[in-house]
Amino acid sequence: MKIEDVVCPFCGCLCDDLVVEVEGTKVVNVENGCTLANEKFMGDHRLNAPIRRAGEGWEEVSYNEAIEETAAILLDADRPLLYGWSGTFGEAQSVGVHLAELLGAVIDNTSTVCHGPSIMAIQEVGHPGCTLGQVKNRADVVVYWAANPIEAHPRHMSRYTTFCDGFFVKSAFRERKVIVVDVRETDSSQVADEFVKVNPGGDYAVLSALRAIVRGKRDLIPLSVEGVSREQLFRVADLCMSAKFGAIFFGVGLTMAQGKYKNIRNAIELTEELNRHTKFTISPMRGHWNVYGSNEVFTWITGYPYAVDFARGIAFYNPGETTSVDVLRRGECDACLVVASDPGAHFPRACAEHLAHIPTVQIDPHVNATTHLSRIQIPVAVTGIDAEGTAYRMDGVPIRTRRLFFGNYPDDLEVLEKIYRIVREARG
Amino acid sequence: MNFLLNTGRTIAQGSTVERKNSTKYREEASAVSMNPVDMFELMVEQGDRVRVKSGAGEVVMWVRQDPGLVRGKVFVCLGPYANHLVGPETHGTGMPDFKSTPVSIEPTDDPVPSVAMLMRECGGVPYED
Repeated sequence: MKIEDVVCPFCGCLCDDLVVEVEGTKVVNVENGCTLANEKFMGDHRLNAPIRRAGEGWEEVSYNEAIEETAAILLDADRPLLYGWSGTFGEAQSVGVHLAELLGAVIDNTSTVCHGPSIMAIQEVGHPGCTLGQVKNRADVVVYWAANPIEAHPRHMSRYTTFCDGFFVKSAFRERKVIVVDVRETDSSQVADEFVKVNPGGDYAVLSALRAIVRGKRDLIPLSVEGVSREQLFRVADLCMSAKFGAIFFGVGLTMAQGKYKNIRNAIELTEELNRHTKFTISPMRGHWNVYGSNEVFTWITGYPYAVDFARGIAFYNPGETTSVDVLRRGECDACLVVASDPGAHFPRACAEHLAHIPTVQIDPHVNATTHLSRIQIPVAVTGIDAEGTAYRMDGVPIRTRRLFFGNYPDDLEVLEKIYRIVREARG
Repeated sequence: MNFLLNTGRTIAQGSTVERKNSTKYREEASAVSMNPVDMFELMVEQGDRVRVKSGAGEVVMWVRQDPGLVRGKVFVCLGPYANHLVGPETHGTGMPDFKSTPVSIEPTDDPVPSVAMLMRECGGVPYED
């Protein structure tokens, strides 16, 4: 059976034009997908049943046993951490937040090691963003700053920018200018009209130089700024100022480098300066397919987009203190529930060590690095394949993912609701 | 020799991210990309193994040539190998220094560990699927 308009649950592009062929409970073909989408749909490497650590080995357990033991671990903890959430759908994320409130837990999503600093900057100076449709139809200058879309968001350029014709941009490849700013050459930098190679950690200074040029202070600019020549800075600024509609997309190369959220603040303020000359927008290249959704759901319920601490009985948010890496590195949490992410692979080693030290439970369809650190893993259906729910694209547009077939696994929502019910009963 | 470690996504990492026990994932996640002149000075060739050390830890990886990198900078795709080297300090932002960890690199004959072995070093119990 061929299913059209399938939504891809891999990256923040959330492409919704895939055609997927299904035979029974197996995906046999994918059309329109990138390499990542093909691997996601065609991959069949799931954990078969819930597992529990038994001494130096592992044993299979029933779902009920795994769920009851998970609830007991969470109830027994003084300061549990509920981490992940970006790889599941909004309805399940919502139950996670309510569970955190009931437990007085810290709940955090993968923004914390991704675009968390972008959110901090947006909270300081706002977000002059737009939907990807606006970019596709209007933008004649596109800037990718510290991002490598060809590897991380493979269809971003072909669906929205470089290779995609739009309503007001009839021949995108000729009419759109693409600027790539990065510390290294990448596949993306090779298709750029202008590649700006910045010294590592030099983004803040280059952004400041561009702001000065846009403000008309060209005489202040030295011969070279963090490896970028004055001539190239002038050229880039002129290209941006002469745009009819410009769009900046930035990656975690800005949020993770020295300066962290101050880099993003400077980039947003450059966008603001450019809006004195023309129309310009700026948007983060969100990684996980529903990381934006986790920010939305957390914010609706708690008022904060990530790193929410319920220990006081009310929602408290303080990045640097209530963020997962900080909670783990201080050895503060005494239990951890990981949902739909892999901190074992993507957090610094010191955090992985603490996860191994405390009872960690993982809810995830696949074996990953966190599996080895956990006490229990509960496999679930894969959203967008055998589960469905709401996700948010990187530009904040909600898109409902589709279930392609009914499989044998429960989805995240079902498992989390069962845990929630046990905890609620115990806590009265 | 001393280098500055950068990390980030690659398409091969993304393609194998749901099979972290696989050889393909290990090959991608444990590759340290390096400028050819730096490789010459270290006296290593593509595929040779090196020990990479930082203030946070050390891990054996294999060398991949990348002329797109400037000298003194190395790149490892995000994952457990890179994170064996990244420190947990977040400077009050929640975000570790994933893009700028000072490391030293030396040739070695030791094997590249599996993801499960890395997690065992962290105190975990390997699960083989």
